[in-house]
Parts: sequence; C-alpha cells; structure tokens
Amino acid sequence: MNNNSSSSSNNRMSSSLGNVQSPGPALKTYFKTPEGRYKLHYEKTHPAGLLHYAHGRAVSQVTLAHLKDKAAPIAPPPSNTSASSGVRLAAARLLGGGNGSRALSFVGGNGSSKALSGNSRIGSMGSSSLSSSSVPSNYDGKGSYLIFNVGDTVFISDFNSQDKDPIKSIHFSNSNPVCHAFSSESKDGHDLLIGLNSGDVYSVSLRQQLQDLGKKLVGAQHYNKDGLINNSRCTSIAWVPEGDGTFVVAHADGNIYVYEKNKDGTGDSSFPVIKDQTQFSVAHARSSKSNPIARWHICQGPINSISFSIDGTYLATVGRDGFLRVFDFSKEQLMCGGKSYYGALLCCAWSPDGKYILTGGEDDLVQVWSMEDRKIVAWGEGHNSWVSGVAFDPYWSSPTSDSSEETIVYRFGSVGQDTQLLLWDLEMDEIVVPLRRCPPGGSPTSSGAQGNSWDNISPVGTLQPAPSMRDVPKISPVVAHRVHTEPLSGLVFTAESVLTVCREGHVKIWTRPSHGESHASSSEAVLNMNAKDSKISLTASKVGSSNNKQ
Amino acid sequence: MGAAGSKLEKALGDQFPEGERYFGLENFGNTCYCNSVLQALYFCVPFREQLLEYYANNKNVGDAEENLLTCLADLFSQISSQKKKTGVIAPKRFVQRVKKQNELFRSYMHQDAHEFLNFLLNELVDILEKENNAAKSSPETSSPEKVPNGPRAAVANGTPKEPLVTWVHKNFQGILTNETRCLRCETVTARDETFLDLSLDIEQNSSITSCLKNFSSTETLNAEDKFFCDKCCSLQEAQKRMKIKKPPYILVIHLKRFKYIEQLGRYKKLSYRVVFPLELKLSNTMEDADSEYSLFAVVVHVGSGPNHGHYVSLVKSHNHWLFFDDENVEMIDESAVQTFFGSAQEYSSNTDHGYILFYESQGSKS
Repeated sequence: MNNNSSSSSNNRMSSSLGNVQSPGPALKTYFKTPEGRYKLHYEKTHPAGLLHYAHGRAVSQVTLAHLKDKAAPIAPPPSNTSASSGVRLAAARLLGGGNGSRALSFVGGNGSSKALSGNSRIGSMGSSSLSSSSVPSNYDGKGSYLIFNVGDTVFISDFNSQDKDPIKSIHFSNSNPVCHAFSSESKDGHDLLIGLNSGDVYSVSLRQQLQDLGKKLVGAQHYNKDGLINNSRCTSIAWVPEGDGTFVVAHADGNIYVYEKNKDGTGDSSFPVIKDQTQFSVAHARSSKSNPIARWHICQGPINSISFSIDGTYLATVGRDGFLRVFDFSKEQLMCGGKSYYGALLCCAWSPDGKYILTGGEDDLVQVWSMEDRKIVAWGEGHNSWVSGVAFDPYWSSPTSDSSEETIVYRFGSVGQDTQLLLWDLEMDEIVVPLRRCPPGGSPTSSGAQGNSWDNISPVGTLQPAPSMRDVPKISPVVAHRVHTEPLSGLVFTAESVLTVCREGHVKIWTRPSHGESHASSSEAVLNMNAKDSKISLTASKVGSSNNKQ
Repeated sequence: MGAAGSKLEKALGDQFPEGERYFGLENFGNTCYCNSVLQALYFCVPFREQLLEYYANNKNVGDAEENLLTCLADLFSQISSQKKKTGVIAPKRFVQRVKKQNELFRSYMHQDAHEFLNFLLNELVDILEKENNAAKSSPETSSPEKVPNGPRAAVANGTPKEPLVTWVHKNFQGILTNETRCLRCETVTARDETFLDLSLDIEQNSSITSCLKNFSSTETLNAEDKFFCDKCCSLQEAQKRMKIKKPPYILVIHLKRFKYIEQLGRYKKLSYRVVFPLELKLSNTMEDADSEYSLFAVVVHVGSGPNHGHYVSLVKSHNHWLFFDDENVEMIDESAVQTFFGSAQEYSSNTDHGYILFYESQGSKS
C-alpha cells in the first residue's frame, strides 16, 4: 500500500502521505443557531511567508478599534459627550470581549496640557506633525481597524474592507508584542497600548500610526523601558474605563502596574520588596513623579488576563493559580473570587450589566461567576480542550422571549484550543433554581465546611475553593462550530458579526443572521482549507455538542 | 560534564534543594527510552523513597541474587548518595540487566518508552511477590511457580484469594470498572480490572481532560461486536463504559501517539496537539472524590516517526522544572512545558511531543 512515491503519477497528485490518512474535514463557512445562520463573511490575515516557528510562544490577540471623526483641535462641542455615549457604550462592549484583555473605553481628556518633554518619547506628538495633507489616504475620518500581533509584528487591518491583507505593519526589534488595548474615547492623545514580551509598554496614537508610512512605531511613549521596573512578560493590558488616561498592565510574575499616560517616569520608580508572595498587596510609588504610580501584587505565577467592568469599578484577574479575583479598583480591595475546577484560568470577561463574569481555562470549562452570589453559578461543558477566549454578546436579544418577561437571557460565546467557537444561552432562572434545591440525596454533611459554605454567600474579600463537580449546574452550548484549523485565542462581538482569531494570527469575520436571510441559501459552499488534520477533529466537534449539525 | 553540572548549580544557586541530586544518565546506544523513564521514576518521590527504604532493609539479607529490582535500587541509591550535587552517572548494570531480562530491549534499535515502563513496573511487582511468597515459608497449597503469571490474572478471573498489594501497587495501581449494560434485559455486568497506567486514544487539538472523557464514554456494542449476556444467554446489543473505581496515587497517562495505519501497513506517529494541564482531576470516577493531581514528570518523544527518534524527560522537583536529555540536565521555565503539547499542523518543525505523563495525587493519603 505504501507505494505512493513512484506510482503516484496518476490522477491524484495531491495525495501526499498525510492526505491519504487524514483527508481533512473541510471547514464549513456557516453555522446555524436558533435565530438563524451565521456566515463567514471575510478573513483577515498577515502576509504569507512568516515562518511558523518564528511565532514562538507569542499568541495572536485581536483588538477592534473604532476611530472617530477627528475632533476639532480646539474645544470639542459640548454635545459630543452625549451624542457619542451610545457609541461609547457599544465600543466598550465590543472591546470588552475577547480574552478580557480588550481595551475598554474611557472618557475624558487626557493630560494634553501636561508637558510632553519626556526623554523616553520617540518622535513627536504635536498635532502639527500630523501633516495630514501630504498623505494620500490620510485616515482623518472615522474608521474601524483590527489590531493583531504575530511574531515580532503588530498588524493593522481595515475592518471595513474585505481585503485580506493588513494596511500597516509595525515591527518591534527588541521584543515581541504580546498584548494590546484601544480606547476610542481618548481625545487626540494616545489611544493604543502595546505590551511586549520583555515587559516594555508603549502608548501611541493609532491614527498617527496609520498616517505614517514607515514600519516603526511613531510618536510613542515608552514605559517600563527595557523592563527596568519589571522584566517579566506582559500578559494583559487595559485602559481603566472612565479612568482619565489611567491604564494597567499585568505581568507574568503575578504583578499589575498602574500607569498614567503621558506622565514621564522621571521619579524613583522602585517599589518595596514583596514580603509575602502569597498575599495580595498594593504599593504606591515613593515619588509623585514616578510612572507607574502603583504596583499590585496579585498572586504567585502569571496573571493570564485582566478585565474591567464596563464602568471601571471592578477589575477581574485570572491566572496560573486557577483563581478568579475581583477587586474594587479605586478602593484597591479584593472583593471576591474563586478557584477553577482545576488548572490555570486563561481568560475572563464581564457581562454588560456587570452582574456576571465569564472565565475559561485548562479544565475545559466555561465558568459563570455571579457578583451577587459571589460564587460560580454555572459550568459550561462543551469544549474539547482549553478555553482561551470568552465574551458576552451585548447585541443579542432572545428571539423567542419578549422583553416583558422577568428572566433575563444572556448570550455569550467562547473559543478554545479545540478550534471551536461555542455559543451559549444563559437563562438565570433556569440555572439558579435547580441549584438552590440542589442537595441531591448524596450531599450529606460529609461534604463538610465546603458544602455548607456553598449555599451561603461568602464574606467580602475571601476566595472560594474549587467547587466539587456535583455542586455546580451544567449548561450546554446552543451551537458548536469548528471555525479554524488552528487553536483559537480570542473572539469579539460586534453589532453585525462575531470575530474569531487563532493563535497564528488569522481572523475570521462571521456575520450575524439577518432578517429574511435566515433560511438556507445556495451559498452553502464548503470552504476547503486544506485542513491537514484528520477526521479526528470531526469526531471532536461531534463530542462537543449534539446541536452542532442540525 | 562537570561544567554542565556547575552550570545547573549556578542556575539554582542557593535555591538548590537540600539533599537533592540532579544527575544525567549516560546513553549506551539508543538507551534514551530507558534514561527518560528512569528520571521520571527517580523524581517520583514516594516511589524513590520506598525503593530506597526497601534497598536499605534488604541489602544485608545475604547475597541475594541480582535482579531488576536490586539493580534499580542500586542505581537510585548511587544517585542519591553522590557527594556532588550534579553530574553524570552510567546506569550500566541496570541497562545490562534489562537487556538480559528481555530480549525486546536487547537490540540497539529504538525502543518504546511506554513498553519499557510497563515491563519495568510489572517486573518489579513480580519480584516483590516472589520474595513475599518465599518469605512466607508456610506450606501453601497454591504452588509459588504460578506466581510469575501475576496477580492481575487472578483478579480478572475473580479468584477470591486476596492479591498481594506491594508498595509498587500502592503507588501506581488503580482499579477500572468495566460496566456493560445489556440493552435487552438491562442487567449491568461490572468487571474490575487493575491498571498501572492508562493508555488514551488522542485527537487533534484536544486536551487530556477530553481524552479521559472519551476513554470513559459510553460505547455501544452491536452488529459484529455484540455482548454475551449471561442472563439472556445470548448475544445482545449492549452499552459499555469504563469508569475509574479506585484512582491511583500516581496517575500515569500514556498517549497513544503511535498508531497502526492499515492503509500504510505500518505504524505512524501522531503529532497531534494534546494539551495537558499542570493540575488535573478525574471526573469519571465512581465516587466523586474530586481529588486533584499535580503533574511532576513528562516523558517526551522527539522525532517524526515511530522507529527512530529520541526520548527526553521533563521533571518537576521542589517547584523547579528540569529538562533531562541523557547526560544533560538543564533548568527550564514552567511555561516551557507547553512547547511539548504537539502541533496543530501535520507537518511541523516541532517534533517534541509529550508521550507519558506522570501525575501525583495531592490528597495526602495513599
């Protein structure tokens, strides 16, 4: 049978050894949900030729950025705030998705009046330097852009164009960019944050990057230069919503740093030695001229993702130790939190109303944490590998239930290293009720302290141990769909679509079902992606959900 | 090699664990399958301690004949009693003994590390049982000659005689229940089997959790593969599933990366990306004990095919991860463990794949 080398001059040119054993199942370009059909609209990727091994351990993340019409250089009209509030909320929701590391919007002027004389500044920032007239496409107007990192490069794609290739690439020579965040509310100042593997952090103006023709970051402010303050990998970065230019950076050594944009770190930026690695502690900079202004020691081992509640009150962190922690950000206090079933947690995201937090991790579960109950209220079972991205869908409304009903139904999505996108419906009444009358015959007093505490709300500031399997209600996905051939790293919901991104930096845009188009169309073409993996993955997706091929 | 040792010592600095030894093992021509498994077993602390204890208690008992157990104990005590903290040791006597004992491992060909581990553990069990029977000089009705067949067969046959539980069993043995439910009369037939490791089928882009779930998933026996129901006295359709009745203290998971491909008429290595967490719980157990396991060693197969390649091992000792490649020992970051998951594409430059995983229960009872 294995004579494929010499006698293969017949009809099957492509039947290489791998293809013989594993005719890759083609990826479907649509998937069905109760509300209709999601279709693959277009894809974004990076230029071919990037060597795969060069990607190393840097996993691609995607940030969606909405640039507004350039505000008048002088005083913005007072109506601006109210007129844009809808957009702001929308953007906040959008950007709050993904791995929880997405930027959240914030309001308010930045310190544009502050002196911008820092020696760490690369290039200049003044509006005069924008010289928009000389650039053919001047990017002065509004637009939506996808920002994603691959290897040593940050790519920017025009979200409104179906062109596959990015319009801009920014190379980093010193270290790989690993996380980024955008705020659409930042007025004429820096709106894009980029964190590097070396621990270095930059803030820049996205518009200025688009207007520049080079391949380098321009007009950047450089923080934690050469990892001087902390040389461990940046893992997640976020603007503080309504935070007036404040942002936070999480590192692989369990620390979070709070920065103020445009503030030069000329003062003493050293922080005291952490006395107890296992305890949460906050240290403020000794000098008022320091930037970062504070260090939060969260946990031992890496923090994997952080996410602010939409209004910026709470900060959620997840990490290697498997704990979700929720902090009151301005009070610098631990509010609540709990342990995964087992293994590290990799991602987290808030519900638009701030009542729930999704987390995903190495136990293959999607967890729903209730802020009211201060515990896990549901486990989503359906992924066949680690859960790498979670997000609520802020645009979704249940097609079956009218809004007068008391039960609120949340829609959320998750992506995993099993290459699948799963969508879930969370109806709180359905879940909480079975939990309350939960103690089945077999949960007697033997479960001890943990069992008792499970029904009570734990006190503020304490962390819950891992629940046992029988204590947490399970939910199943509405749909499970294999969207890429590579493990996924994140997802973002927009008003019209769902974006998925894989670790290698390919982005797919799936449009939502539109009215009148929800029936079957003739375009059920199956996209052959030259999938190299075998029929195995077909069974994998079958295991994921019974709903996935209706 | 002295230089490499001092480099590791430098890397660990004053964090070098008290009394611990990190020694590379010399390769005698394709004996990396042996070396990688030996390192994993050496850093399986309860196993090592009990082996050394056994060695201390038994080495003065006359001049007992050399066997695999004494050779292994010799080697471990040789490592642990080294004056230097790091270096290289030649496991010459042990390897010779392995080759003497089993002709499979006699050639210089590439061997399967899992087969070797299996052979070694079963051999140790047999030796301990023999010694136990010999010590019990009371005239037993059952002839001791039968023992080499092992107690596993005895358990499977449902012989009421209590099988001997050695310290090897206490570390590695778990019990599986094979439940078969006849679809006609609904009778459930349960059969217990002991195991020293779990061999799991793997899928592309999956996790160990998912592979374990598939291992315990319900399988329908029908068509050609019907089940003989004792109650119906005939072949019937049935549903079968495997549950873990008693989880082992040391959970050894073998990923079936070498698969026989019928179309090719030969074995092929599956380079699938299978992620394994540093902490794990078994949810397919009978009683939901939910006890947590922690990963402490990984035997890695390096190479693209089943008949050639190399074995190395990753070991966690005193909260540091170490990389053992025959003579060489290096410190690695915990996050480097994830570079051994496998690849999402069939053809990849990364050919270092986790093959045997060693988890230790965190519940402190054994």
